[in-house]
Amino acid sequence: MAGAAVIAMVAGLAGCGSGNSSTSETPAPPPPVNNTQPVIVDAGPIVNGQAVGDEDVLFTMVTICVPGTTTCQTIDHIAVDTGSTGVRILASQLTLPLATSMNASGQPIANCVQFADNTYQWGPVAKADIKIAGEVASSVPIQVVGPSNFTAAPNDCTAGGTPAQTVSDLGSNGILGVGLFRQDCGAACASVTSPPAIYFSCPSTGCVIASVSVTEQLQNPVWMFPQDNNGLLIVLPQIAAGGAASVSGSLIFGIGTQSDNALNGAQAQAVDGFGNFTTTFNGVKYPSSFIDTGSNGLFFLDSTTTGLPDCGSQEMGFYCPTSTINLTAINSGPNPNAPTATISTNIAFAVASAAALFNSSNAAFNDVGGSNPGAFDWGLPFFFGRRVFIGIEAESTPAGPGPYWAY
Amino acid sequence: MKSLLMVLAALFAAALIGFAALGGSEESVISDQVKFQASRRVVPEHGYRVHEISRGDGTLVKEYVSFEGKVFGVSWQGPTLPDLSQLLGSSFAEFQGSLQHKAGRRKAAVVHNSDLVVESTGHTRAFQGRAYLKSLLPDGVTQEVVQ
Repeated sequence: MAGAAVIAMVAGLAGCGSGNSSTSETPAPPPPVNNTQPVIVDAGPIVNGQAVGDEDVLFTMVTICVPGTTTCQTIDHIAVDTGSTGVRILASQLTLPLATSMNASGQPIANCVQFADNTYQWGPVAKADIKIAGEVASSVPIQVVGPSNFTAAPNDCTAGGTPAQTVSDLGSNGILGVGLFRQDCGAACASVTSPPAIYFSCPSTGCVIASVSVTEQLQNPVWMFPQDNNGLLIVLPQIAAGGAASVSGSLIFGIGTQSDNALNGAQAQAVDGFGNFTTTFNGVKYPSSFIDTGSNGLFFLDSTTTGLPDCGSQEMGFYCPTSTINLTAINSGPNPNAPTATISTNIAFAVASAAALFNSSNAAFNDVGGSNPGAFDWGLPFFFGRRVFIGIEAESTPAGPGPYWAY
Repeated sequence: MKSLLMVLAALFAAALIGFAALGGSEESVISDQVKFQASRRVVPEHGYRVHEISRGDGTLVKEYVSFEGKVFGVSWQGPTLPDLSQLLGSSFAEFQGSLQHKAGRRKAAVVHNSDLVVESTGHTRAFQGRAYLKSLLPDGVTQEVVQ
């Protein structure tokens, strides 16, 4: 085991040293940093003595610091979300004095993120050092969500949605967006002609959509780590039908960089520019499918297509079959190392009555299902009993360049 | 010149009044176009017309209009969500009221009521969705056309 670690590190050094023509002896490699962060699926943060999280939410702890200082704060119950990018901390939970980022016109920069459930988070961008396990990303633009003393969200952000900016409404103290991409938006938001409604300039007269350079956008902190920065691995154990009160696992940084993050036969499937791939179900291809720890169920198609009855009433949008139904689908995508070749993986999954599961006191379920018309949204239940790797865009890994999923 | 001014005045009046789109009149489509600061083209189909409103950021909104001039369906795709309060018009309150907002629940917003159907799916960078009113579908036109 120790030998494997040494080999991985020497390989890493060889890759980094290509620009050095010196023939001097290779210095002894530094000891590997701790790249493993504990994660937990539980009932969520406590508000007024009551846990306010929903089922199947993956949480971790994040330390944020004023850049370059030891003025830090550790915040628990941050939701680990592979479906979005960037660190978002509820202003109500933040005690650090973080300076709001300003644009070239001297105006505050604000960020908006919307979710398909018709909620949004709004707030200024600020830079912070992000510490997770032994890894540190320096001066990372993050979003401070919903400070009461900041300009209200403009209509382009709210878009008829509902704010989820308190611990009770969000079900967490913030979001750790560690998905497939380096930034939440990327080149589109750096466009000066028609950027989408994600970044805003906020003079006192009100916030307007603005272009923001890629480096000033919210960043996936993982690619900013000095090492173990090409991707990540989420490991959660399998759980019993009927669920578990809590489930502990690991968030491991890097792919093939240390002894604990080797692919070990995991098959990589590249995703498209939106992070989507094809799921085939009953012979029909659904090319806008995705994997997302931030979705708290296996959401796929609709009752008409699947024959699974909707729960109706309080749990509308979830499936309530009378007995557990076992299903299979096929996920496929290009081999990142040889894009003309397609890698396909059979996925077996089960759907039980969501209403019955939600009536239990458990927080983690591997068989909660619901509708997502036209595609598969493989939420957190997909991760139980799997080692799931995320290759970050433009990063090189032993399975080829990201963005990809491997499992 | 005078007629152009009148058209512009009509456009701004429509924008200010905020005509509903879904369930509204064909003029409400122009209101949406103004609000989205977008370009528009009309595609004739069998039994209905589609107004395609596109914006430089990649947002595409389609509004499905019967020959009677009623918007019976809307669909959208893009990097962010369009303003659904505008796009769903008088059906927006029903959509919001039907959503089960529970803390931390992260899933598609899907409403299948007796008349109103809304399916809002996707994730950051790639949202899509559609909505229609069954009672307004023209004769011989099925909900599948709203995509």
